[in-house]
Amino acid sequence: MEKGLLEVYQTPQLQNPSLLVGWQTHDVGKLTSRIVHFLTEQLGGQRIAEVKPSGFFPLGGAAFKGNFIQVPESQFWACEKSNLLIFTSDEPKYEWHKFLTAVLDFAEHYCQAKELYTISARHSLSAHTTPRRILAVYNQPAFQKLLQDYELEDMTWEGRPAISSYLLWAAERRDIPGVSLWPEIPFYLAAGEDPSATKLTLSFLDRRFNLGLDLGELDLEITNQYERIAQLRRVNAEIDRYINRLETGLSLNEQEQVKLAREVYELLKERG
Amino acid sequence: MGISVFKQPKLKNPELLCGWPGIGNIGLIAMDTLKAVLMAEEFAEIEPWDFFYPEKVSIRGGLLKELQFPTNKFYYQRLEKKDLIFFIGEKQPSEGERMYATGEKAYRIANLVLDVAEKFGCHRVYTSGASVSAVHHTMRPRVVSVLSSDRLAEEVARYPNTVLVSEIAGRENEGVITGLNGLLLAVAKKRGLESICLMGEIPDWLSGSPFPYPKASKSVLEVFADILGIRIDPTVLDEMTAQIEGIVEKIYEEFPPEIRERYDQRKFVAQAEPAGITEQDARWIKEHINGFFKKGGEQGGKRST
Repeated sequence: MEKGLLEVYQTPQLQNPSLLVGWQTHDVGKLTSRIVHFLTEQLGGQRIAEVKPSGFFPLGGAAFKGNFIQVPESQFWACEKSNLLIFTSDEPKYEWHKFLTAVLDFAEHYCQAKELYTISARHSLSAHTTPRRILAVYNQPAFQKLLQDYELEDMTWEGRPAISSYLLWAAERRDIPGVSLWPEIPFYLAAGEDPSATKLTLSFLDRRFNLGLDLGELDLEITNQYERIAQLRRVNAEIDRYINRLETGLSLNEQEQVKLAREVYELLKERG
Repeated sequence: MGISVFKQPKLKNPELLCGWPGIGNIGLIAMDTLKAVLMAEEFAEIEPWDFFYPEKVSIRGGLLKELQFPTNKFYYQRLEKKDLIFFIGEKQPSEGERMYATGEKAYRIANLVLDVAEKFGCHRVYTSGASVSAVHHTMRPRVVSVLSSDRLAEEVARYPNTVLVSEIAGRENEGVITGLNGLLLAVAKKRGLESICLMGEIPDWLSGSPFPYPKASKSVLEVFADILGIRIDPTVLDEMTAQIEGIVEKIYEEFPPEIRERYDQRKFVAQAEPAGITEQDARWIKEHINGFFKKGGEQGGKRST
């Protein structure tokens, strides 16, 4: 492990934990942030280490979003009772390979992590009333087989790789089995939150790791969100028509998509 | 960070021929074509992940099949007269948005290439690139050379259609070979290796074009054929050259008549003389060049790769 890249606060009591990685950059529907927050809260996660930002993030100043200064963060959390190691980070701007090597070095050599799970939500063109799906990408066929009963759907795709794919590839080179989870979020919920996708993802993790999570608060959020959107549909015929088309498998043009996304975002923001 | 060597070929004093992307991809196309003509065999590569980001991922049926990086590979071939090592880099490692290699990574990759070359007993390095010149696009591009020392001048003078950079009028006896096609020579010289850069001429107004300039690559290729004492099919690169020439001609036809007239003087003066277009003309072409290429691309059909 290259010295100086990490700062370790405490030695975790973990036994061959699973490593769960969530990227906060491009966090569609804030799903990753929400899941990491939910797990660390409910499982009593402790911050144990960080990858230092120098060399990976631009440090010529500080970015701000809204009224708030943004600090690049790359933190490891240990949930000792659940034997879960969580890494949450912004995507590094530079030196991806060196950064991912540092993450895997810590997980493998310091914590003896045995499996890797990455989480990044993606947009879908389906309606919010359609059941959510989690698409999955595995780095080993045996691991794909092992998870075949978890109702994950195999992804097929070609193009520019996300950092999750890079991490998955790097893990495979160390013979660490891994899967990238890509929960789908209807595009018009992507700027806000999608409790349905969050719940589905947490349900998978709950089942896989026997976490004993209480997902009741998410059920309330789902009901509340559905009711608000149903109300909007009752008073806005155009929005109702757009969602109806998505529900019947038809598509919207770009202008219609923008209008729907904006209306729903404003609705959920106002009352949220 | 390192080099993967798949095979240990026995080579006797091999010479290293390197090609990286650059203006008109002149050097890269020349080296890659020569490598293909000689059926050189791959034997090593520089591990790309410390220098490049992956460019493509292939996921099929839920399985991550491949992560593709730009390749940086070594090839070898044994000829009657001499043994060769080729290094072909698909991309230059750059910091930030620059096209050409700069900074620490450039220096590191240059040293890695030379580590391999020296491991196999290499004593001479060739790179190739573009010489941006005040020439007419219909003329046969010359090959302009820059050397590591005076001792090589006599030898290079025997190369066909080749001039020393100092013989080109209008140059102030100094310049820069941008990126790794230049830096490698500097690092090689520092290590005590002979180094020669052979640059195919490209008309100045085409140097910013998004197209390759295979006509100049062919000139470089002919010089290498002479150096190596081999015969290369004279029609090699003709198809690509014809395609690009068609686009260039269409752009040229759109020059205003007075600029075209001045530019055409380049056909009739000695190539060593800077001639033809004025600074104003050059500015006019520069300002209109993007529009030309847009039209050229649309009218010229398929873009050559």
